[in-house]
Amino acid sequence: MATNREEEDFIGPLRRILIAVLVLLLTGAFLFWRIDSPRAERMRALFIDRFVPTFDWAMVPVTKTLDMIEGFQSYNRIYEQNQELRRELRRVESWEEAAVQLEQQNAKLRALNNLRLDPKLTSVSGVVLADSGSPFHQSVLLNIGSRDGIVDGWAAVDGLGLVGRIAGVGETTSRLLLLTDSSSRIPVTIMPAGQRAIVSGDNSRFPPIDFLVSPELVRPGDRVVSSGDGGVFPGGLPVGEVMETRDGRLRVRLKADYEQLDFVRVLRSHPKERVESAGDLILPEEPVQPPEPEAPAEEAPAGGSDG
Amino acid sequence: MVDPLTRSRALHRLLYLGIAAIVLFLRLLPVNGGASSFPGPDLMLALTFAWVMRRDDYVPALLIVLVYVVEDMVFFRPIGLWPLLVLLATEWLRRREESLRDLPFLFETALIGAVWLAMLVAQRLVLLVTFVEPLPLGLELLRLLMTIAAYPLVVAFSKLAFGLRRAALGEVDAFGNRL
Repeated sequence: MATNREEEDFIGPLRRILIAVLVLLLTGAFLFWRIDSPRAERMRALFIDRFVPTFDWAMVPVTKTLDMIEGFQSYNRIYEQNQELRRELRRVESWEEAAVQLEQQNAKLRALNNLRLDPKLTSVSGVVLADSGSPFHQSVLLNIGSRDGIVDGWAAVDGLGLVGRIAGVGETTSRLLLLTDSSSRIPVTIMPAGQRAIVSGDNSRFPPIDFLVSPELVRPGDRVVSSGDGGVFPGGLPVGEVMETRDGRLRVRLKADYEQLDFVRVLRSHPKERVESAGDLILPEEPVQPPEPEAPAEEAPAGGSDG
Repeated sequence: MVDPLTRSRALHRLLYLGIAAIVLFLRLLPVNGGASSFPGPDLMLALTFAWVMRRDDYVPALLIVLVYVVEDMVFFRPIGLWPLLVLLATEWLRRREESLRDLPFLFETALIGAVWLAMLVAQRLVLLVTFVEPLPLGLELLRLLMTIAAYPLVVAFSKLAFGLRRAALGEVDAFGNRL
C-alpha cells in the first residue's frame, strides 16, 4: 500500500481493478454454489475438514475452563445437595433401623423354634398388640384371646425366657402381666443350689428375689428358672440370672428381652391333678379340658422341636 | 529496517485477522450446544465497519473478503454472497469516509445501520431471485438491532485497546501523512 497520497492516487486504478476482480470472484462463487450445490458443499466440507480440526488443541483449555466453571457453579448447588443427602441419609437410617429390628425379630423367631420345652407343653404364639403398661402396671396386650383357648394364668415366654403370665382374657385379646409388675409373684428355683424363692416384681427392670431360705448359697450369675410350685407355672422355664445390687439385695436380671417384646408364646399348662386328701390320687374328678385333644394337632411343629 | 508506518499497518492487519479468528473460534465453541434461539450481535461486522470508518488502511478489501469467505464456509451460508455484500458496503463507506469525518457518532451509527439494512435487503433479493430459502426475517432484524446496539461498544473497545479514533478533517498522523 501507499505511504502517501500521491502513491495512493497512483494505485487507485489498480485497487479498483482488484475490487472488481474480487466482486467477480465472489459472484462467481455464489453462482457456482447455486448451480452446482453438491460440489460446492463437498468443497465446503473439505475446507471444514482441514480447518476445524485445528481447533482441537485449543479446545482442551476451553473445555477445561468450562469444566471448572461448571464445578464452580456446583458450589451454588451444594446447599441443595447437602439437604438432599440429609434426606437420603434419614431414609437410609430408617431402613437401617428396620433392618436391625428385622434381624432381632429373626433371631427371636429362630430362638422360638429351638426353644426346649416340656413335650407336654404346647403353646399359642401371639403378637404384642400394645404396650398397655404404665409405671404402675407392667403389662402388654396380645392379639390372642379366649378364641385361641387362652386361659388366665398361663405363662408366656419370648425366645429367651419367661415374660410373664396371662392376667385377663378377652375374646380376641389378652393381657399379659409382666414379671416386673408389682403384682407379679412367681415361684422360682435358683439353679446350682436348688434354692426355692419367689420373684416378686416391683416395677423396676430387675425384680427382687424374696423368701430365699439361705441367701449365702446363692451367687450372682446363678440361673433362675421357674419351679412350678403351686401349680401356676410349668417348671423349668428360664427366668434369668441372679444379680446383686449395691445394697446387697439379690435381684433377677431377666432373660426375656423386654425392650423388644414382639412375639410371645403362651404356654398351655394343663391343670395337674390335685391331691386334696389321701384317697383322691386315682382319677381326676372332672374330665380333662376340652381344648386338650385338638391342641397337639395345632401345635405339632412346636411339640416336635423337643426331639 | 522496516518502515514504521508499514509495520504499524501490518501489525494492525494481523490484529484484525487475530480478532476475526478469536470471534470465529468463540462462535464455534460448543458452549451453547447450538440451541441458542436468540441471535447475538455480529461483532465481526461491527468491528469491520468501525475500522473502515476509522483507519481504512488497516482493513484492506482482500482481508475482509478472506475473513468473510471463511465465515461463509464454516457457518454453512451461501458461499460468496455475504462477502460480496460486505465488500461492496465497505468500499462504499471507504470512498465516503473522508467526507463523513464531521458526522456525529449518533449519525455514524445510524449510517452503519442503514448500510446494514441495505445489505440485508440486497441479500434477501438475491436469495429470492435464486430460489434460496433465506433466514427468518425477524431473526435477521433482531440481529441487526443487537449489532447496532453493540456498535458503540465495539468502537469504544477499538479506541481504548488499539487507539483507533476518527481522524479530524485534514489531520495528519505521526509520520506526516494525511489520514
